[in-house]
Amino acid sequence: MIVPLEHVLILAAALFALGAACAVMRRGVIMILVGVEIMFTGAAVAFIGAALRWQSLDGQAAVILAMGLAAAELAFGLALLVHARRRGGSLKSDRYTGLGGRT
Amino acid sequence: MKTWLLAMLLFPLAGALVQPLCGRLFGLGSGNPADRGHWAAIVACAAVALSLCAAVAVLVLAQGRTSALALCPWFGMDGFTAQASLLYDPLAGFMALTVTFVSLLIHIYSLAFMRGEQGLGRYFCFLNLFVFFMLLITLADDLLFLFLGWEGVGFCSYSLIGFWHRKTANVVAGGKAFIFTRLGDLGLVAALAVMAGLWGASSLSLVAAKAASLDPGTAQALGFLILLAALGKSAQLPFSAWLPDAMAGPTPVSALIHAATMVTAGAYLLLRLSPLLAQAPLVLEATALVGAVTALYGALAALAQKDIKRVLAYSTISQVGYMFLAAGCGDVPGCLFQLMSHAFFKSLLFMVAGCLIRAGGGEHDIFKLGRMASRLRRELPGVCILFACGAVSLAALPFTAGYFSKGRILADVLGLPGWPYAVSAVLALAAAFVTAVYAVRLVYVVLAGQARESAPASVRGADVAGINRMAGVLWPLAILSLGFGFVNPPHFLGLTAWLDAALANAPSLPAPALSFRFEPALAAFEAALALAGLWLARRLYGPGQRGTPARTGLDGTGMLASGFGLDALYVTVVAGPYRRLALLVASSLDQTVLDGGVTKGAGAFLAFSKAVSGLARGRITDSLAALLAAMAAALIYLASRLG
Repeated sequence: MIVPLEHVLILAAALFALGAACAVMRRGVIMILVGVEIMFTGAAVAFIGAALRWQSLDGQAAVILAMGLAAAELAFGLALLVHARRRGGSLKSDRYTGLGGRT
Repeated sequence: MKTWLLAMLLFPLAGALVQPLCGRLFGLGSGNPADRGHWAAIVACAAVALSLCAAVAVLVLAQGRTSALALCPWFGMDGFTAQASLLYDPLAGFMALTVTFVSLLIHIYSLAFMRGEQGLGRYFCFLNLFVFFMLLITLADDLLFLFLGWEGVGFCSYSLIGFWHRKTANVVAGGKAFIFTRLGDLGLVAALAVMAGLWGASSLSLVAAKAASLDPGTAQALGFLILLAALGKSAQLPFSAWLPDAMAGPTPVSALIHAATMVTAGAYLLLRLSPLLAQAPLVLEATALVGAVTALYGALAALAQKDIKRVLAYSTISQVGYMFLAAGCGDVPGCLFQLMSHAFFKSLLFMVAGCLIRAGGGEHDIFKLGRMASRLRRELPGVCILFACGAVSLAALPFTAGYFSKGRILADVLGLPGWPYAVSAVLALAAAFVTAVYAVRLVYVVLAGQARESAPASVRGADVAGINRMAGVLWPLAILSLGFGFVNPPHFLGLTAWLDAALANAPSLPAPALSFRFEPALAAFEAALALAGLWLARRLYGPGQRGTPARTGLDGTGMLASGFGLDALYVTVVAGPYRRLALLVASSLDQTVLDGGVTKGAGAFLAFSKAVSGLARGRITDSLAALLAAMAAALIYLASRLG
C-alpha cells in the first residue's frame, strides 16, 4: 500500500467531521441527510484503509453493508420527508418540534 | 377463696368490657334522652355490687389469714420474672372492702347524677375499669402487677377528669393530673428496677421476706423511691398542684378517684411496703414530715377557697397528709383507719357538694350558694343534714370517725422520739385546728345564710326530686362518717379496737410502736382544738356576720387561695420554660432548619430542572449536536484509556 494508513485516516476523519458539521449546522432536512451520508462515507474510507493495511476482506464487506444501509436509510428518510411535505410540513428541520413535548 | 378473689377482680373488668361491646343494646344512642344509658348504669352498678359481695365473702372466708396465690406467669426475661399474683391479707381485705363499698355507692349516685348525659357508656366503662385497676393495686402481690393497676388508675383518672372533653380546660386538667402522677411513677419504676437487679423479681411477699437482710443504704434508696411514687399519686407536696385542677371532672369522679380511693393509693402502697420502710427509719421520718407539712398546707389552702370542690380538694390533700404521717409513724392500722374514715366522709362531702351544685344550677362558689341557704334548708333538709354529718367528721368534732382516726395519728406521732416527729406533731396539731375552721366555715357559709334579696331562684321543683334521689344513697356514708370511729376507738375508752385486732395477726406487717401515754389528754386536747376551730369559724362566718362574706381577707384571693403559689411556681419554673423551648424548637428548628431545608432543596431541584428543560426544545439539530458531542466525549475517554 503506497498511501500510508495515517493519511487515509486523516481523510476519513476530515470527511466525518465535515459531515457532522453539515448535519448539525444546516437547517434543511435534505442537507442534514446529505451530512449523514458524508459521515457514512468517512467511516467507509476508514474501513477501506484498514482493509488494505491488514489485507483483510472484512473491512470491505463492512463497507458494502454500510453502503446498503445508507441507501436504505436515505430512501426511508426521503420517503418520510415527502410524506411530511404532503401533510403541509416544511423542509426546515426547526419546524419539527414534536420531541420537545410542547405540541 | 381463689374463686372469690378472682370474682372480686374480674366483675368490674367484665363490666368495663361489656359497656363498649354492648353499648347499642343499652340504647345509648336513641330513645328518650332521660333514659339514655340507664341500662349501662345499671349493668355497671351490678358489676360493682357483685364485686362488693365477693369482697365481703373473701373477708369472711379468709378469717384474718394471709394467703398468696399466683394466677399465672406473666413474662420473664434475662433473669427477671414477673407473674400475675395476688397477696391477700387483712390490710388488703379492708382496703378492697372500702374500695368496692364506696365505689358501689358512687356508681349508684352516678345513676342519678349523670342522668341524660352524653357518653354514659364511656363514663361507666372507665368507672368500672377504675374499680378493677384499684382492686389490682389493692390485691396485687407482684409489684409489676401492682404497677399495671397503678398506671391503670392514672389513665382512668385522666379519662374521667376530661370526661366533658368538649371544654379544653377539662382536657388540660386531665393531662396535668396525668403528667404529675407520672413524675411520681418514675420512683416506682426505679424501685422496680432496683428490686429486679437485686432479686430478679419484685413481689411484696419477697420484699417482706428479704427486707430484714437488706443493707441499710439500699433499703433507704428503695424507700425513698417508693415514697416518691406515693407522693406523686397522693398529691402530696411537692406534687400537690394537680389535685385542685382535677376537680374539672364530674363530681362522682372527684368523690371516687380524687378523694376516696386513687389518691389514697400512695398511702396504701406505703402500708403494703411497710416491712421495707421499717428498715429505713430516715424514710419514715421523711414520710411523716412531708405528711404533716402537707396536712397543714392543704388545710390552710382550703381555708381560702371559694369553689366548693376546690375546698374539698385541698382538704383531701390535707387529710391524705395525715395518712402519710401515720405511715411515717409505722402505724399501719392507724393509717388504714384514717384512710377508711376519710374515704367515707370525704366521698360523702363530695357527693353532697354535687347535690348542692345541682341545686344551685351549676354554681360552685360557696358564697353564691350561701345566698339560697334558707331555700336549701327548707326544700332539701336531708342534703343539709348529710353535709353537716360529713363536715363534723372532717372537722373531727368529738366521737365522729375523723376524731378517732386523727386522734390515733396524733397519739402516734407524739409518742415517737426525734425532732422530725416533734415538728410533725406541732404541724399536725395546727392542721387539726385549721381543719376544724375550714370545715365549719364551709357549713356556715353554705348552709347557715339568711335569705337575701339577690337570692337566685335555683332550687326548682323539678330538681328537688332528682337531688333527693341522689342524696338517698348517701345515708350509709353519713352513718359511717359519724359512727365508724367506734370500730377502732382509743384504748382509754375501754372498747374493743376491731381494726387493730384484725390487722394484728397479719404476720407480714410490722407491729406498730404504740404508746398510750398521752391518749386521754390528747383526746381532750383534740376535742378542744376542734371546738376552738368551730368557735372561730362561727365568729368569722356565723349567722351574725353573714352580711359580709369574703371580708376576712382570705377568701378567693391571695397566697392561701392560690395554694401558696405552688401551681404558679410550676407554671413559671417548669411549664413556662418548657413551652418557650417548645415554641423555640417549633419556630426556629422545625420551621427554619427542617422545613426551610426541605423547601430550599425542593427549590434547587426546581431551578435545576427548569434549566435542564430549556435544553430540550425538540430541535433536531440540537439533538444531533448533543449526540455527536456525547459520542465524541465517549470516544475521547476510550482513547485516553487506550493510551
